[in-house]
Amino acid sequence: MSGPLHLVLDEITAGTPTLAAIARRTGLSDDVVRAAVDHLVRAGRITSTELSLGCPTDGCGTCPSSDGCSLPASLGARRPGLVSLSLTRRIA
Amino acid sequence: MSESTRLREPRTTTPMVPSSASGKACCHTGPQQTAEADAPVVALVGAPNTGKSTLFNALTGSRVTMGNWPGTTVEVSRGVWPPTLASPTCGRENCTCDHNQDPLAITVLDLPGAYSLDAHSPDEQLTRGLLQDGPVDERPDLCVVTVDASRLAHGLYLVAQIRELATRVIVAVTMSDIAAQREVTVDTALLSQALGCQVVATDPRRRTGLHALATAVRAALGDPVPDPRPTPITDDALVLDDDRFTWLSDAAEHATVAPGHDRLTLSDKVDRWVTAPVAGPLLFLAVMWIVFQLTTTVAAPLQDALDRLFSGPVSGWVTSLLTLVHLDGTWVEGLLVNGLVAGVGMLLTFVPLMALMFLLLALLEDSGYLARAAVVTDRLMRTMGLPGRAFLPLIVGFGCNVPAISATRILPDARQRLLTVLLVPFTSCSARLTVFVMLGTVFFRPNAGTAVFGMYVASVALVVLIGLLLRRTLWRTMGAEPLIIDLPAYHVPTLRLTTAVVWQRLRGFLKTASGIIVATVCAVWLLQSIPTTGGQAFGQVPVEDSVYGVVARTIAPAFAPAGFDQWQTASALLVGFVAKEAVISSWAQTYATEQPQPGQAGMLGDHIRAAFEQSSGGHPLPAVLAFMVFLLAYTPCVATLAAQRREVGLRWTIFGVAIQLATAWLLAVAVFQIGRLFW
Repeated sequence: MSGPLHLVLDEITAGTPTLAAIARRTGLSDDVVRAAVDHLVRAGRITSTELSLGCPTDGCGTCPSSDGCSLPASLGARRPGLVSLSLTRRIA
Repeated sequence: MSESTRLREPRTTTPMVPSSASGKACCHTGPQQTAEADAPVVALVGAPNTGKSTLFNALTGSRVTMGNWPGTTVEVSRGVWPPTLASPTCGRENCTCDHNQDPLAITVLDLPGAYSLDAHSPDEQLTRGLLQDGPVDERPDLCVVTVDASRLAHGLYLVAQIRELATRVIVAVTMSDIAAQREVTVDTALLSQALGCQVVATDPRRRTGLHALATAVRAALGDPVPDPRPTPITDDALVLDDDRFTWLSDAAEHATVAPGHDRLTLSDKVDRWVTAPVAGPLLFLAVMWIVFQLTTTVAAPLQDALDRLFSGPVSGWVTSLLTLVHLDGTWVEGLLVNGLVAGVGMLLTFVPLMALMFLLLALLEDSGYLARAAVVTDRLMRTMGLPGRAFLPLIVGFGCNVPAISATRILPDARQRLLTVLLVPFTSCSARLTVFVMLGTVFFRPNAGTAVFGMYVASVALVVLIGLLLRRTLWRTMGAEPLIIDLPAYHVPTLRLTTAVVWQRLRGFLKTASGIIVATVCAVWLLQSIPTTGGQAFGQVPVEDSVYGVVARTIAPAFAPAGFDQWQTASALLVGFVAKEAVISSWAQTYATEQPQPGQAGMLGDHIRAAFEQSSGGHPLPAVLAFMVFLLAYTPCVATLAAQRREVGLRWTIFGVAIQLATAWLLAVAVFQIGRLFW
């Protein structure tokens, strides 16, 4: 029988879009799903990227588009945590 | 000297303090004591932010030394847990008395925060070195693992690993108050049963549970070292990790009481519809249609009023002022009235519209809905075989293409990056929105919102179709990676934040657009003032005979099959290549220069309608639709080209421009030629 890590990895591979949906489909608690994902990220099996819909959170200084950009600088920092998680390709 | 030897060596000397009259150190006088060299060693371990250091401070008070662990850069705190504090027999909570017995002081190590013993960081390497890799007889006598009750599963992985070692373990459950706020209760007795070790609930901030912890520690130190938890024999790290997760998941489920967590929350119920495969996209389209319909319907009267203000009284006032100073009829009047007032005034008419649009989008964003829309978009992208993560730059592109090009850097694959860079210019940026709204209100009122919405749908369709075309031809072997999104919770938008975002975005739009428009107005005015034939003075030439007019007339025939080969229309597209913000201002400037009659309000719309009527041979609606499609598909602005060149080089940038122009022209011709059959 697959354990929580395999269940979570299978759901990601199958394209389940959100952590909540993974918890729902696997029957695992939300806490266990988040712990599993955090563990898989630390183990390098999943890549976690914070998605900013606007600017980089550390300001225009790090943005390559700061010249000619019409977006206000403070937008990136106040975004709620939209995070994408994707499987890391592993060399066997 | 081995680390273990150092570990047991008392490294702190705390001053003796006055003792009580009985000679016994008492909490009321603040006893201080130094651990002996053979004192038991207790290591505090746990994930960051689980209250480990707070517990360490509560146990040791000021009897602490800090420094890097020998041979490492990792800081470790060492302290003395005095027998008075560690006495299990004193009946008073938090009492530091040692009046009942005189046990040994305990050396306490506050090891750095670690999620596991997997040595992913120097902190975890040190913890692993002390607890697992070092000789058994040099390890701490007991580990106290702090676990956050509100995130129980997160802390139990480390417990699982330590339970596999030949060492004594006590789990200190912290943050029970935060867990209670989330309606989560941890039953320490059940957890103890499931984990096979003592579990104590403590709150080091309020100094509760310390006595129970001392009791447990003293008791455990007197017991033999327990047998390690059995694990499967395997070389596969994932299988071993999964065994630990099965164990911890069972323990957490066994010991956690969360009565409300089995029920679907309102947010869960909403998400099931909002992110559903079919209902999700339909809802997203409906929401965006409402946004555009509301924007154009509510803002249109304000826009008309501002248009009348600038083309009427304001232009009249400026003309009167120039007459007073005897500059009427000169190039100054041409530049100020027909150029700056017409161009900048046209920009300002869009302020109510943009403000309303930004307000509605900010509300959607702050409520958390746009994140759900991202899930829907991501699924659509992957269904088409396009890289899922590309949805982010494309969403950014609907605001401005320039940062969207930079946002492609989140894509790990170079080919995915290149493909997305080529697709971003097809997303309809806010600068194009102004032109769509203007043409929508002129030609499609009262359905202007639907017309603008249609352009956004067309934009998405273009991205998908061009993406599929490139994917099936140039990048056939490109893989699509699975991706999931951790959604933020729904929020009630706050007035302060929403207002600030709307203002920031509006200011950003006005700042950029006004700079571009002023520069373009001056350039257009200059080109419209230079004659191409002899006998005409600078600034006194009919527009169609100026450099501007001649160039526009040269390229205009190319648009005849699309139904908009008026040179004024072609000139707007020429200016739009530089920046879409300047399309309407240059139009206004051209028609104002042609007929400098500032008293006639609403002239621009009439001029444009007449131009399309004439150029389309009586089919203005398909012609204007074709024009809007061309505007959507061709090169957004030179700033986007610069960003593309920076990201993918000149060769691919030129390739992208060729695709944009070819797509724009072919689609515009198709829309007009098919549309004229019906309209």
